[in-house]
Amino acid sequence: MVSKEEILEGLAKAVIDGDEVKSEELAKKSLELGIDPYEALMNGCNKGMAKVSDLYECKEMFVPEILLSADAMYAAIDILKPHLKVDASAKKPAKVIIGVAQGDIHDIGKNLVKMMLEVAGFILVDVGKDVPVDTFVKKAEEEDADLVTISALMTTSMLYMEPVIKQLKGKNHKAKVIVGGAPINSDFAKKIGADGYGKDAVEAVKVAKNLIGA
Amino acid sequence: MDKMSPVERFHAVLMGEKPDRVPVNPFILGFSANIIGMPLGDFYADGNKCFEAQFMCMRLYGYEATPMYGYASCGPWEFGGKIGFPYGEGHSAPYVIEHPVMEIGDIDKLEVPDSNKPVGGFVEAQKVSDRCVEMGMPAIIQGGSVFTAAAVVADTSKFLRWIKTEPKSAHALLDKVSQMYINQIEYFANKYGPEKCVVFDGGPVEANTVISPQKFEEFAFPYMMKVHKKIRELDIPVTLMHPCADQNLNIPYYIKMRESFNWKGIYAWIFGPETPLKTQIEKFGSHDIIGGNVDPPSIQTKSYQEVVQLCKENIEQGMDNPRGFILCPGCEFPPLAEPIKPMAFIDAARQFGVYK
Repeated sequence: MVSKEEILEGLAKAVIDGDEVKSEELAKKSLELGIDPYEALMNGCNKGMAKVSDLYECKEMFVPEILLSADAMYAAIDILKPHLKVDASAKKPAKVIIGVAQGDIHDIGKNLVKMMLEVAGFILVDVGKDVPVDTFVKKAEEEDADLVTISALMTTSMLYMEPVIKQLKGKNHKAKVIVGGAPINSDFAKKIGADGYGKDAVEAVKVAKNLIGA
Repeated sequence: MDKMSPVERFHAVLMGEKPDRVPVNPFILGFSANIIGMPLGDFYADGNKCFEAQFMCMRLYGYEATPMYGYASCGPWEFGGKIGFPYGEGHSAPYVIEHPVMEIGDIDKLEVPDSNKPVGGFVEAQKVSDRCVEMGMPAIIQGGSVFTAAAVVADTSKFLRWIKTEPKSAHALLDKVSQMYINQIEYFANKYGPEKCVVFDGGPVEANTVISPQKFEEFAFPYMMKVHKKIRELDIPVTLMHPCADQNLNIPYYIKMRESFNWKGIYAWIFGPETPLKTQIEKFGSHDIIGGNVDPPSIQTKSYQEVVQLCKENIEQGMDNPRGFILCPGCEFPPLAEPIKPMAFIDAARQFGVYK
């Protein structure tokens, strides 16, 4: 008989190892054993992903490994999610619009930030890559977003971050804006009026949590 | 006051002699189109226009460079995929619309392009090289990086997964991409003569913000070796190496590559701003030319005076490199930087880079 602790530890390990087959198997097993799916998610998958973040931060894990960890995590989530109990009294999670700046099609960094924000409990609305300024603003309004995160990998596309910020501020929208990507640094983020800067996916999550007071 | 012409100055550094002052190669590509009012898409879609923009820009500023054709997403076009030219707002270079490899099974079906003629972007590169050679300048051929090209020939995030889950197939793809580069290098060497050729090798996907040095050793290094072995066999004299972005953990493998060829050939290194010049000089400086690495986003966002200061710091750290120094940015000059910014490089070289 497998214990609850073994299942949760196994889920965390499967995520760290990027073992999609194992994470699926253990997610199913956790349901069979009557483990609360929320607990399996938080103390299994998310615990594993938190370790992945740590390993990435200290350069012990890199993008290929994280992509596989994400696959393993999402495989478990797909199984657990339909069984999650909806708690109407729970605090509404913060909503984040995420996308790559206009003119830029490099979205691996954006996808890593998206995945880590999801793990941290945010609701993500992914507007994709090469996203026009107006789309970021429109989506933030439609979704009543708390945060807008924009990434850019090129010196040409980084110039399309400031107009998003200006338009949102001009409309007095509540959304805070976080920017990141290879050519961006904290000075540039300040200069264009961004509320936060994440030098990598792990830092982006910390900044996002700070900005919404989580 | 300059005592040498740009050609004399560049030649002196290549030959291991002291020039009058530090030469400047601002790694200008798309910037030249912008400065002469040419759509950036035209610059990459037509090799003749690419040459004209760069040649005009060189004459305007008087820096030491040779026009070249190349971009980071080289590979998909050559293998029959579809690329887009940068006509849109915010675009900076050609981008992939259709990857030739979307599924693992596509790798077996992938055919290495014909070795007897230039393909894809190399057709446009040949137009640039024809014009350069006519005018006594070298023909610059993109010869890598193999790893970055493979990562865009295939869907990038799938390729990055495959180096973990399907290593045999990833190697098969890397081998085909390296052969494509070798075929194109051989074609150019045969056409112009190897002594008139320069190979440019560099790419960002092998940066350590993406892959580990262990994965670099396993998947990037063998194919870099394969291409550079051919470069040495052909006796192409000059190679420009651009380990793009943060590749500090990969440096031992670049050293290993140079050692394995007994440091033969003239190599010039343009690392990203993440690699201190001091480290570069320690590791390569006795044998190889070091290019500077002024931070490209700063060139775009900071003032002329601030850029001069950044160039000054680069010059002071690099100009006494035993095998020579060229002032460069750490990656392509930002296409939308203000027109005064290349002057910041040249002014800094004249003020702070004079050899006694």
